[in-house]
Amino acid sequence: MQIGVVELFSIALFFVSFFGLIVSKKAVKSIIFILIMQTAVVMFFLSIGYADGILPPIGERLENPQYAADPLPQALMLTAIIIAISVVAVNITMLMTLFRKYRTTDWDTLKNKSMR
Amino acid sequence: MLTYFVIIPILIATFLYLFSSEKAGKIIALTAQALLVIFAFYLFISTREYQAVTYIGNFYSVLGITLRADNLSAIFVLLTAFIFLVAAIYSYNEKNSRLFWFLLFIWEGALIGIFLTRDFFNIFVLIEVANVVVTIMIMYLRRNRSMYDGIIYLMANLVAIQFYLLGLGYVYRLTGVLDMDAARQAIALLPASELVLPYALIMTTVAFKCALMPLYSWLPKAHGTPGAPSAVSAILSGLHIKSGVYLFLRFQEVFGAVSTSDFFLAIGVVTGIVGVIMAISQTDMKLILAYSTIAQIGLIMIGFGLNTYYSHTGSLFHMINHALFKAALFLSAGIISHAYHTRDITEISGVLKRFPTVGAATILAILGIAGAPLFNGSISKYFMMSGVSLPLFIIMSFINLGTITICIKYASILFGRCELTEDVANIAKNQKVTVLVLGSMCFLGGILGTQFVEFLFGEPVGVDLFGYLEKVIAFAVSLVVGYFIFTRFVKRNPPILGRIRAIDLSFRGMCVCMGLFFAITLIATQWL
Repeated sequence: MQIGVVELFSIALFFVSFFGLIVSKKAVKSIIFILIMQTAVVMFFLSIGYADGILPPIGERLENPQYAADPLPQALMLTAIIIAISVVAVNITMLMTLFRKYRTTDWDTLKNKSMR
Repeated sequence: MLTYFVIIPILIATFLYLFSSEKAGKIIALTAQALLVIFAFYLFISTREYQAVTYIGNFYSVLGITLRADNLSAIFVLLTAFIFLVAAIYSYNEKNSRLFWFLLFIWEGALIGIFLTRDFFNIFVLIEVANVVVTIMIMYLRRNRSMYDGIIYLMANLVAIQFYLLGLGYVYRLTGVLDMDAARQAIALLPASELVLPYALIMTTVAFKCALMPLYSWLPKAHGTPGAPSAVSAILSGLHIKSGVYLFLRFQEVFGAVSTSDFFLAIGVVTGIVGVIMAISQTDMKLILAYSTIAQIGLIMIGFGLNTYYSHTGSLFHMINHALFKAALFLSAGIISHAYHTRDITEISGVLKRFPTVGAATILAILGIAGAPLFNGSISKYFMMSGVSLPLFIIMSFINLGTITICIKYASILFGRCELTEDVANIAKNQKVTVLVLGSMCFLGGILGTQFVEFLFGEPVGVDLFGYLEKVIAFAVSLVVGYFIFTRFVKRNPPILGRIRAIDLSFRGMCVCMGLFFAITLIATQWL
């Protein structure tokens, strides 16, 4: 399998944001890094359908379906993005509740205060 | 036809959301659920002859989503339907809001979907649905730490599922299909070196779902949290974790030659030993059961890692047994902690005298999990341990010894004087019946063990009487040693146990473990 620049970049971004999860002390930052991770995955998927001289699978320029990009990754990613939005929304709601209760988003403080 | 197994629970959920306040509404829903169990049984019987397949949208190729029920799927669908029926009957009289009933059956639909679908992406969607449902369910009673437990569970799962999604993209890039069976055929033609990265990515998520070491830390928070109703804990520990093990089996099959069973054998050994040690040190009823789940998953993983016919069958049977006795234990623990207003086992005593039915069910389930002769755990452990090498035999005996010590510790609540002075209202009849049914199924699974295995997996297995007697002696020795360990060491509560109890990874720690596991899997797959 040939690995292009976009794939390489998205895999790198995935692991860089994973490293960000390890080092970030605040829960808000963790959520942001999860979002970046998801973006990296979306980018990886979108790179699957891409090749030189290939056209979007929709529109007037498309005369020969042979040159159309694979539409499945886009469809999958639409679903994945919607799921990600809703799950992260739940996540942020929960974080807001925790913040109202303990006035902090620091992971260690949250842990100590909740376990008491 | 298979789509109905996913649709019916969702219809029941919607129905209960509207009518759960009425008594008739609940009865109709429970009847529908009982019918679903019968359908699942029928499906199971029919899959012994042929596989049931449903193509969603009538794409008769690898392009669409395929639901396929082979013997393994059908067993788990049956188990899911049964455990949810038991859990629903158990919580029949509790004052639950309609949200509880709605989420309970949505959860069932998602789990059955995971067991039936053969589409990589569909599994992702269903796992996410189950994640959100479980997160709300474990926070349902709104205790002090519920919100923290819930957010840890949700965020850790969200990170873990990203690994799966990236691995899925990689597989799609390599093979061009999302169907498991087609992917398996395509993967067999590819060079192994290209498949190492997607395998490691997907296995990280699956291991996280199975709570293998070192990715276990979310499990006690989810399964042992005071915020979860006991029916929810029973389903989580009995069933939900099995979806991870099921996916493990499926993906091992999909990746074929690339997959490494030796590595997971080693991980299983570590998981079993650490799980046992962690479980012994706990004093909270629910946490003991939660950590003991980790140990049992370790045992199951050892069985699958050995990859012989007997150990494989034994592990499958142990998964079913574990669902039965863990559900019985969690449900009875819920009754007991409700009556005593505490979950600390040092403060509870005399359950057997005060609540004979619940005590009897607890004893049956404990004997099952400890692998006592004539109980279901002994049969599955016998199969798992037959024909293992000596070092592994010692390790598995050690895990068994630990399990027996945990059981003795847990059983200490049953005896002694009952200090419950206030007049407790009698336990509801439906709760008594459910725990007793689950408990007696542990016993039946032991007496009719070989017949059960033959009926479930369709292939005859024999229990060598001499070998079984050997196990009986081993059990008796372990019981004596376990009792000795309990009275001399665990009961005195030495400070080291307190130190083990205090081990609790934060969210960042979990992420470190996830990265570590991914790296180890990558290296192990490359080298083994």
